[in-house]
Amino acid sequence: MTAISVLKLSDLTRQIKLTIDGVFGSATFWIIADISNYTYKNETNHHYFDLIEKEKLSSRIVAKIAGRAWGTAAVHISNFEKTTGQKFKNDINVLVQVSVQYHPAFGIQLNLIDIDTNFTLGQFEQQRNATLAKLVAENPSFIRKSDGRYITRNSELSFKMAIQEIAVISSATSAGYQDFEHTLLNNSFKYSFKLDLYLAKVQGEENAKPFLEKLIEVFNAKKDYDAVVIIRGGGAQSDFLLFDNYELSRAIAKFPIPVITGIGHQKNETIVDLMAHTATKTPTKVAEFIIAHNRSFEDDLIRIQKTMIIKSQQLFAYYLRELNDLKTHFLKDVLRLLNDNHRNISILSGIIKNKPGMQLSNEHKNIDNLLGSLKAFNNIFIAHEKVNLQHYQSLVNLMSPQNILNKGFAILKLDGKIISNPESIMPGNELTIQLSTAEINTVVKSKKIL
Amino acid sequence: MESNLTYESAYKELAEIAHEIETEAISVDVLAEKVKRASDLITFCQTKLRSTEEEVVNIIKQIDNHSVS
Repeated sequence: MTAISVLKLSDLTRQIKLTIDGVFGSATFWIIADISNYTYKNETNHHYFDLIEKEKLSSRIVAKIAGRAWGTAAVHISNFEKTTGQKFKNDINVLVQVSVQYHPAFGIQLNLIDIDTNFTLGQFEQQRNATLAKLVAENPSFIRKSDGRYITRNSELSFKMAIQEIAVISSATSAGYQDFEHTLLNNSFKYSFKLDLYLAKVQGEENAKPFLEKLIEVFNAKKDYDAVVIIRGGGAQSDFLLFDNYELSRAIAKFPIPVITGIGHQKNETIVDLMAHTATKTPTKVAEFIIAHNRSFEDDLIRIQKTMIIKSQQLFAYYLRELNDLKTHFLKDVLRLLNDNHRNISILSGIIKNKPGMQLSNEHKNIDNLLGSLKAFNNIFIAHEKVNLQHYQSLVNLMSPQNILNKGFAILKLDGKIISNPESIMPGNELTIQLSTAEINTVVKSKKIL
Repeated sequence: MESNLTYESAYKELAEIAHEIETEAISVDVLAEKVKRASDLITFCQTKLRSTEEEVVNIIKQIDNHSVS
């Protein structure tokens, strides 16, 4: 029988360990790998995980070694989480410094010595840039980049003059929300606000979808919100990947109500910050921003009020002066007008008083004149008439029958009638012969025509 | 005097009569009548003028009392 050399397993593992220690010793390596199968033991502060490498296209695992971290390495991981905001967990791609260790009971293991934060930050930056580029490329109607700034439909919205009705998306336990609420509601200007709280988990990339649903809930509430406030903060730094989520960022950019963020990121702004209307660093700053906005509105009101008062006073002064001037002139004018009228009336009155007297005295004069002329004319007329009358009288005297009878003529009458034509006298007729002092009756004896 | 007479129309009529009298365009027949009418118009206008003046003075007093200068 050939003597077979039999070893105990531990003898072999000791040899393996010697060999591995001999080859790797205390050498360390910087490797890029993904984390998988991660567990953390709080009581010992031990991290257990697998480091794996996948084929880029198929995601098939091409390498896998168990790893662990404790002590100083655990402190590094904690710092890494603080600095990057990225939790050390499954499916993250990291650059880690490891040493190779063989443990007889646990086999080959990689001891994590350090973890590179810049690598992860760089990765985030790349991923973030890719997301931003995709947002701009795929949503040209409401996201564009101009002069290094992102201009979105949301950022182009105008705030109402005063912000009062506010939808707040925050986690229930957030100290940030309490800061926000306290600062806002205890403002020194006594501005009142109405807050509607929409509860959402505000960390963990996997919560991006529920968060987006909260945003949709705000929209569907159909309330006339003046602003949507997204806050988290207080508490420990943890991952912000939720706020770099493409879908959520896109929804914020498109949202019809102005979004104000106070996410509490100490370093770069998240993509949600970039898409939102206004980004502030902390929940308290959001409250201060809103108060300042309302204060600015009130300042405008106060300024307008002051301007109005001053302008009104100026106007009053101006019109009072105008009125006084007008009054002075007006009084003068009225008095002058009255005087003018008095004068006019007395002029007319003078005419009425004096003129008729003058006219009447003129009439008197006329009549006197007429009378005078009448008198003078009358004398001449009468004298003239007297002459005429005398003439006619003498003529009549001359022609009177008495006169003729006196001269020796006689008048023959037949039957009492004077006969001037002898034809009617016939012999035998009784005639009366009138003489100047006597009448003789006779009978015609004969008639002889001469 | 007719009740609807205004200062304006009274003055106008008075001025017409005065003009007629001044130019002796009025016959003696209606002279007395016209002078009577003119006298009435003068009285009317003066009364109206005096009462207006009093009223104006009162109003002016009120303006002075109320004015805030």
